[in-house]
Amino acid sequence: MKYCMLTTALAIAAGAMVQPALGATGNVTFNGTVAAICTLVVTNGSGTMTASPGLQSLSSHNAGGSPGTVTITTTGNVALSVGAPTAITVPPADITPITWSPTYSVAGAHTIAETGASSNLSTPGVDTVTVHLAGTKTGSDIFAAGSYSATVTVTCQ
Amino acid sequence: MLRSLAFLGLALAASPAFAQSMSPMRGEVTSFTDAFAIRVFPSNPYNQKIRIDIRVYDQNFQPVNAKIAPNSFMLGAEASRPVLVVVPFDGNNERKVRICTESVPFPNEQTQIKAQICGKFLGQRRF
Repeated sequence: MKYCMLTTALAIAAGAMVQPALGATGNVTFNGTVAAICTLVVTNGSGTMTASPGLQSLSSHNAGGSPGTVTITTTGNVALSVGAPTAITVPPADITPITWSPTYSVAGAHTIAETGASSNLSTPGVDTVTVHLAGTKTGSDIFAAGSYSATVTVTCQ
Repeated sequence: MLRSLAFLGLALAASPAFAQSMSPMRGEVTSFTDAFAIRVFPSNPYNQKIRIDIRVYDQNFQPVNAKIAPNSFMLGAEASRPVLVVVPFDGNNERKVRICTESVPFPNEQTQIKAQICGKFLGQRRF
C-alpha cells in the first residue's frame, strides 16, 4: 500500500513537471506629472551700453553696444516681461533726467519681436531672450562722461 | 495653528521639484487660520554658486509682509532647497500673492540682468 501511494505520488509529481510552464503576465503602470515650470539662465549678463554720436542716447543698440541674453525653458502658460531698471548709477556730473527703456525679443520655440510689454508663452519650448536697455535724454540734455549702470529684471511668471 | 500651517506647507511640498528655478509655480491653499503657508523649491540651474533672494509680492508687485524662511541664501551649483513662506490674510478671506525667486548671477557688469521667477498662489480662508 505504501509502495502504491509512493508510486502514485511520484507519478503525479512527474506529470506536474512535464506540464509546460504557463506564461504569467502583469502590467506596470507609470504615472508622471510635469508642473508648470520656467527656468531662466542668464547666458550673457554683460550687456554694454554705448553713447550715440549726439550723446542723447546711451543704448545697447548703439554701435559697440551689446545686449544681454537669457535662455528660457518653459512648459508653457507663463508670461515673460522685463521690469523698469533698478540700481541705476550715473556719474556725478549727470544731473539731467534720463528715460530708461528696457526691451526684449524672443527667438527659438517662440518668436516675439522686440517689445517692452509682457508676452505670453502658451506652449512649451526653449528660447533665447535678447535684452536691451536704452537711456535717452531730451531737449538739449546730453550724457556726461563717466560710468553708468543699471539692473534689468527679466520676469517669468 | 503651527500644526495647520505645517500641514498645508507639506501639502504643496508634495509637488515635484527637479532642476528648475522654482517649483511649484501655481497653487491654491486653504487655511483655517489667519495665515497660509506655502513651501517652494528654488533651484540654481548654473554651474556656480549664486545668491538667491525670495520675495513676496501682491498682484501689483507691491511687497507683502510675509515670513520667509530663509529669505536670502547662497545656493550651490544645480542645487535646490525648500523655502517656507507664511502669508497673513490681513483680514481678507482670500489673498493672491506672487512668490519670487530672484538672483543676479553675474554682478559687477554695466548692465546687470536679474532673473526673477514668480509663482502665483491663492490662499483661501475657511472658518
